[in-house]
Amino acid sequence: MSDAVTEHTEPQSIEYDEPTDHADEVKRLERREGWKRRLPILPALLFTILVTQIPFLFTLFYSLTEWRLDTPEPREVIGFENYAALPDDKFFRDAAWVSVKMTVSAVLLSLIVGTGLALLLDRKFFGQGFVRTLLITPFLVMPVVAGLLWKTQMFNSTFGVINWFIETLGFGPTEFATRFPLASVVVVLVWQWSPFMMLIVLAGLQGQDASTLEAARVDGATSWGTFRQITFPQLRPYLELGTLLGAIYLIQVYDHIEIITGGSPDSKNLPFYIAQRSIGGGNRFGLASSYSIIVVIASIIIANIGLRVLSGLLEDDS
Amino acid sequence: MARTKKIKTRIVAPAVLATFALVAGACGSDDAAEPAEAPAEETAEETAEEPAESPAEEPAAEADRSITVALVGNDNITRMGELAAEYFTPETGIEVNLTVLDEQTLREVTTRDVGAGGEQFDVVQIGMYETPQFGANGWLVGLNDLAAASDTYDIDDLIPAVRNGLSVDGELYSSPFYAESSFVMYRSDIIDNMPDAPTWDEVAAIAREIDSDEMAGICLRGKPGWGDLGAAFTTVLNTFGGTWWAANEDGSIGESQVDQPEFAEALNFYVDLLNDAGEDDAANSSFNECKTLYEEGKVAMWYDATVAASLFPEDVVENTAFALAPTKETEASGWLWAWTLAIPVSTSDQEAAWEFIDWATNADYHEIIAAEDGWRAVPPGTRQSLYERPEYQEAAGAFAQRTLDAMLAAPIDNPGTTPRPGLPGVQYVGVPEFQDVGTRCTELFSAAIAGSMSVDDALADCHIIASEVSS
Repeated sequence: MSDAVTEHTEPQSIEYDEPTDHADEVKRLERREGWKRRLPILPALLFTILVTQIPFLFTLFYSLTEWRLDTPEPREVIGFENYAALPDDKFFRDAAWVSVKMTVSAVLLSLIVGTGLALLLDRKFFGQGFVRTLLITPFLVMPVVAGLLWKTQMFNSTFGVINWFIETLGFGPTEFATRFPLASVVVVLVWQWSPFMMLIVLAGLQGQDASTLEAARVDGATSWGTFRQITFPQLRPYLELGTLLGAIYLIQVYDHIEIITGGSPDSKNLPFYIAQRSIGGGNRFGLASSYSIIVVIASIIIANIGLRVLSGLLEDDS
Repeated sequence: MARTKKIKTRIVAPAVLATFALVAGACGSDDAAEPAEAPAEETAEETAEEPAESPAEEPAAEADRSITVALVGNDNITRMGELAAEYFTPETGIEVNLTVLDEQTLREVTTRDVGAGGEQFDVVQIGMYETPQFGANGWLVGLNDLAAASDTYDIDDLIPAVRNGLSVDGELYSSPFYAESSFVMYRSDIIDNMPDAPTWDEVAAIAREIDSDEMAGICLRGKPGWGDLGAAFTTVLNTFGGTWWAANEDGSIGESQVDQPEFAEALNFYVDLLNDAGEDDAANSSFNECKTLYEEGKVAMWYDATVAASLFPEDVVENTAFALAPTKETEASGWLWAWTLAIPVSTSDQEAAWEFIDWATNADYHEIIAAEDGWRAVPPGTRQSLYERPEYQEAAGAFAQRTLDAMLAAPIDNPGTTPRPGLPGVQYVGVPEFQDVGTRCTELFSAAIAGSMSVDDALADCHIIASEVSS
């Protein structure tokens, strides 16, 4: 029975299977087409993988060694000792905490200031383009220059603008950069990054549907109400994007700290601490490598959480 | 749906913009962060090609020779760089490319370059701290034979204490450009009750007495760095009876002594004195800042390196008197230091490097400087012949003998009251670990001076740092 039936039904079964076979065929063709299209990019991809991942592998290896430059002993593999010592390193913990404080406050403050500026810029007025250009300028200043500018022209206790202002109000001079190192760095970061946030938020504001706003106005909504109920919900993805990009960049701040405070304890973040433990005179390359690995892992975790928060933004395709 | 699409395009635009800006920012910061190294790299390439070319065509190639020199940004050292272009290059045909860095950066860069066998520099400026360590590590070219073969370099003319400090087993590893001790410089028109050999208590009392809004009582180093704040503070620490570490019997680093009462007493004294009678923004001041303040009449007294006296303008010297480094528990507390020139073994042109060092540190250079800037400006403290010259004694009479005496009195092997055999040095501890410990601790001390941290917290954290390297 089975034989006859199979013989008999075979053409039929092929007919039934055909659609799936087709799909497989199409997939195969697509895959081949895909590879054909990707092939020219492959060398670049390989190159990118090599230059980004080989140093990482080296760092991974170094982190398992005791390697100091200032004593002529050869590099020695010590396993996970560098990692085991990490939880006891008070200064690593301090630096991590400074990183958190610095990044969170700089991102939030620049987001607030940036949003404020964007709201002001979002209406038509004479010289709008000029004002916008002026407001963007701080973001275009190199970090080192920004640091120098603020350290010498603004914070300086003898010829700084801020102190001049304070003294005209009758207060004594204050050495901001040494007295309040963290706050000083954050102020400069906010000054530099508010324009960036402003640009992003401005894009969101100008993408608003004019007729909706018009309708709200006709219905007698207050401007605060309109902002809270219409503008803000629409701005959310833009604010999230600004937060993510700002955080990714601001977690790595080094130049500002080096220039403004020189790494005074209250402003020493992880990048600064790692640099100091290795090339900055510490010369403990093995130990610093293990710090770097930990920071990379932590960053990936945090970035993933950040991306998940932004999932609404990134999953628009579906 | 259309709405979502609109949002997406709106978001992509700033995102792309942001990415561009980030890339641009990153490039910009890289360029600017290491301004001094960039030119050096270029020139290092030039010198690397040198050996291949020069033997082929000796006379023509000689004009193309060049060396790269790392120098510290002090006045009389950068002056030497200027004079090299004027005198040395025309005479020898060797072009000198200078990389001038501040003290702390220079130390980091040279340690990294010399230690890792980099070929960035043919001549490096290092100090009395680094020379014995680098020499013992085999990182430097020994200079005895080169000096013996030279007609112009008289190795026996070097002041013995300096020569010893720069030698390992009798081999000289770097040539001193200037050497110094530390002393008190004060305005003789304002202060008339300064003893010749004051104690710290006397100095502090005088400083507090004359401190006013217009003129601070004293200028002391407060900038982080073991060679900045660390140097001045460590001489205070020694004479207060404290020390950084005890020494083990084999000469290695013993237990941290940062938690001892003497250490706390010294740091409290230093911080209090700066707060009561010190210069403005003390946490940012070191040698160069204090020098400016003193010359401008904004401080009445300055405890620092003896070399400062040779750098003052004429009118400042006239109103300045000099007292020995202040003491408390010890006989003498002045430091001994030399800025020197050395050749890393990785140099590509040892001969040219030595020619330059010979030129910059022999007695003929003294003549050049004297002709250009007067005898008082001659880099002091390295050669006995200088102190025997009547012209120098006349021009630098106010401080020449004082400098020499202070250098000879510097208790280099046994500073302070705590014996620490194997850990030499007055204003530093001559072991590799001190560079890192000193830098990190002085950051804390500087924060204490600024008031952003308490002295007790600074001491507690410093004790942890110093204990890490105890064996």
